[in-house]
Order: sequence, then structure tokens, then C-alpha cells
Amino acid sequence: MTYGEFAAVRGVSFDVHDGDLVTIIGANGAGKSTILRSVMGLLRPRAGKILFRGEDITAEPGYLRARRGISLVPEGRRILPDLTVEENLRLGTYVLQDAGEVAAELERAYSLFPQLRARARQRGKTLSGGEQQMLAIARALVGRPRLLLLDEVSLGLMPTLVEQTFQTIKELYRQGATILLVEQNARMALSVATRGYVLETGTITLSGTAAELAADPKVKRAYLGG
Amino acid sequence: MIWQQIANGIATGAVYALTTLGLTMVYGVLRVLHVAHAGVYALGAYVGLWAFRATGSFWLSLVAAMAACALAGLLIERFLYAPLLHLPRIIPLIASIGLFIAMEEAFRIVAGPYALAYDAEVRFGSLALGPLRLTGPQTLILTVTLVLLGLLWLLLSRSKVGLAMRATAMDAEITSSFGVNTRAIIALNFLIGSAMAGAAGALIGVYDNQVWPTMGSVPAYKCLAIVVLGGLGNIPGSVLASFLIGLAETLLIGIVAIPFPRDALAFVAMILVLMFRPYGLLGKG
Ligand SMILES: Nc1ncnc2c1ncn2[C@@H]1O[C@H](COP(=O)(O)OP(=O)(O)OP(=O)(O)O)[C@@H](O)[C@H]1O
Ligand SMILES: [Mg+2]
Repeated sequence: MTYGEFAAVRGVSFDVHDGDLVTIIGANGAGKSTILRSVMGLLRPRAGKILFRGEDITAEPGYLRARRGISLVPEGRRILPDLTVEENLRLGTYVLQDAGEVAAELERAYSLFPQLRARARQRGKTLSGGEQQMLAIARALVGRPRLLLLDEVSLGLMPTLVEQTFQTIKELYRQGATILLVEQNARMALSVATRGYVLETGTITLSGTAAELAADPKVKRAYLGG
Repeated sequence: MIWQQIANGIATGAVYALTTLGLTMVYGVLRVLHVAHAGVYALGAYVGLWAFRATGSFWLSLVAAMAACALAGLLIERFLYAPLLHLPRIIPLIASIGLFIAMEEAFRIVAGPYALAYDAEVRFGSLALGPLRLTGPQTLILTVTLVLLGLLWLLLSRSKVGLAMRATAMDAEITSSFGVNTRAIIALNFLIGSAMAGAAGALIGVYDNQVWPTMGSVPAYKCLAIVVLGGLGNIPGSVLASFLIGLAETLLIGIVAIPFPRDALAFVAMILVLMFRPYGLLGKG
């Protein structure tokens, strides 16, 4: 992956199996967001291939990937500021055809995050940072994704909400969702993930099951604070 | 006398609103000042006139003007802006000015340098609201404008496509990640905005009973002032600013009779408003 002439990520190869919960951990600027954005199709890799359910989607624009069932909670939330909370969620259901399905998904999102229900008619930009984070997560879920890309979902949430968000992620995983999770909070990420990769300045230096990574001395020192 | 000026101002404001909408919508999705939009407006007047000569029906000529301009808008998006959008915004702006001048020249070559009469007889009832009396043509302009604005409002606020249009204007990249084909949405903005300008051109052609090659020149810069006044990219703001400028022009110039060029007023208003509200009347900071 390159930004102009600057190669942010190169030679990275990883896979996420159906029904897996995989995490990529790495320091600031390692290229985690770059990877998620290119899986979503918001960036075009200069070389390499992206396969989704066996099909080559490298050349496909992001909106078609969304229709295949890929969904992103982007870094920085990216709530649409002048749409209401409900409209933001409706945008998340854009790929659904059936009005009944849309209503059911909105209902599910509201029961997951009751705070959003109370603010359904409020504009996105008037939400607090944590509420915006909830909205970003809910918005990515309501489209019934097959592959959920989560970029720093716990950022800016208070500890109980971080806990709750990870519970939600685990729950989704148990229900069969496939999840690729990027986190500053490596301890949390490794505690929910099945497998993980360590990304250092644009290349993958380590991979294994979450338990293996959590036990690795290098990982412990660099990402788990001891 | 004052009521007559108000009636004139409403009709003028309605035409400004129709014309300015396209600029606002294009700015909303591309962040480009679409100067050639005024050329599309003049194209609407010419196509309307030719369609009227061919069919003898004003309504058919209005539809023809809107359809031709919608197509022109799509072509402009596809072949002028799309290839230039990765460049600094000054480049599509200059290209747009170039296209506008080329269109004016094309009208002059094709239709001649003089004003042509667009003398469609539209039987349309006049409207009296208390002391305010709108003539038949004024009522026609206001009615068509309100119907088109109403349809646009319904589309934007009540439909899935409208939601996608609003979201695309705020953040196209993230909107695409929800399955919205944002390139098609941008094209749709051009299509709708240009059709509105086509309607404005045909209406003003009939109202003034003339169509001429450089009829877009004054609207070109005046509409820029109006979109800035309304808050760049803000649709309700540009409609409000259009009617305010239309009314202010006719009232100030018609009543006070100050020796002040009417067409400068929009700019004076723009400067004054920007001094106090840098993001326009309804713009956001
Ligand atoms: N638009 C851009 N243009 C140029 N360089 C960029 C751009 N976006 C990211 N980069 C660079 O690419 C590298 C990887 O960025 P990326 O956002 O993927 O990191 P990250 O691992 O997500 O970091 P963080 O944990 O801070 O979010 C960084 O060095 C960053 O400066
Ligand atoms: Mg990041």
C-alpha cells in the first residue's frame, strides 16, 4: 500500500477465515488503518491481491465490496455530522433491500445501545465522542456484514463501555460473524481474538494464535506493557 | 407600486433559486465552483426556444429544456470535472470558466449574436394575495419553482437516494463504504441541478421574451454571490438567499431609486453578510 510514493504497508499477507476473529496489533503508524482501508476498498493497493470468499475483489470499488458484505468502523468514527442518528443508521442499512429487515436491524441496534435510541432524532455531530463511537459501531452492524472491520473501536470509550463493546464483539463472533480487529489496546484485542498478527512499520513480523502472541516475550514487552 | 415591486422580486428570486440550486448541489458534492452552470442555464433558454418553435407548446419546451440541460450536466461531470478532480480545485474552476466562455461563443455562432423572441403564450392564472398581485407569467414562474423545489425536498428528505445524496455531500468516502455508488450520486446531483437551471433559463426566456448568447453572464457571477451568501453547499440557504436578493434588488432599486447598479447589490449583500457570518446565512462554521 502506498500513499503517493510512500509505501505505508508492503508485502503484507494475512488471512481471516470464515467465522474467525483476527486481530492486527502494531504501534502507531505501523499501517493498521491502511490495511483495513484497503480491505474496505477505500484505497487501492499498488500490488498484490485481495480475495473475499474466494473471489478476487482487488479491482472492485468500496461500494461493491460493501454490497458483498464487508463493513468498516473507521478510525475517527466518521459520523455524518448533519444526518440524525437514525439517518446514520439507515445509511448503514443501505445494502439491505427489505424494509422489514431495516426496521428489525434498527431495533437491534437500539437495544444494543439504548443511548442511541434516546438520541435518534439528534444530529450526529451533537453526540458525545463515546456516543459517536457507539453509533459508528451500530452503523457498521445494521447492514448485516459478513466481514466486520473494526479500527480502534474502544478509543474514547469509558472502561465499562470498552468492556461492553468487547462483549458485543465476542457476541457477534459467537453468532458467526467474521471480524478483523485493529486495536491500540493489545491486551483486550488478544483476549477476544482467536488469531493475531503483529505489524511493524508496514510488515508483518509475527503471527499465531492469540494465546501464542500473548505469551510471546517480544509482544509482552512491546504491546502488553511488560 | 411597492406590491408590484414585491411581485417582481418574488419572480426574480424564484429564477435565482432554480439557477443557484445546481451550483449549490455541485459544490456540495465536488467542492468546485461550477461556473459553466450559467452556460447550462442559457442552453436551457435556447433549447426551450427551439422546442417551442418546433412544437408550439410552452410546456413541451420547458420539458425539453430540462431534459437537454440534464444531459449537458451529465456530460460536463463526466468529461470536464471527473478527469480533473484529482488536481487542485483551481484547475477544474478554470476549466469551468473556459467551458462557459466556449458555450457563449457556441450560442452566438449557432443562433446569432442578437436576442431572439421566446413568445410563448402561457395561459396561467394571475394570483392575488391581499394587496400582492402576481401576473400570469410571475405566477407561472413561482408555481414551477415551488413544484420543483418541493419535489427536490421530497427526494432529499424522504427517499433512500436522497439520504445517499446528503451523506455523499458530507463525506463521500465513508458513504461509499455503506454500499452507495457515490460517483452515480454525484452525476445525479449534476443531472438534477442542471435540469433546474434549464427550467430557469426557459422560464426567464419567456418572462423577458428574449434569449441571447450572453444571457448567462450576469447570472454566472450573481449566482456565485448567492451561493456564498446562503452558505456554500447549503440548499435551504441558497433558496433563502435567492429570494432575499431577488426582493432586495427590486425593492431597493425600484422604490428607493438610488443610483446604484442593480446587479452589484448581490455582491454588496454578500460582503456585508460575510463580515458578520463568514459561513453565509445558513452556513455552518
Ligand atoms: N493519506 C496519507 N498520506 C501519506 N501518508 C499516510 C497517509 N495516511 C497514512 N499515512 C502514513 O502511513 C503510515 C501508516 O498509517 P496508518 O494510519 O495505517 O497507521 P496505523 O497503524 O493505523 O496507526 P495508528 O495506530 O496511529 O492509527 C503512517 O506512517 C502514516 O503517516
Ligand atoms: Mg490507525
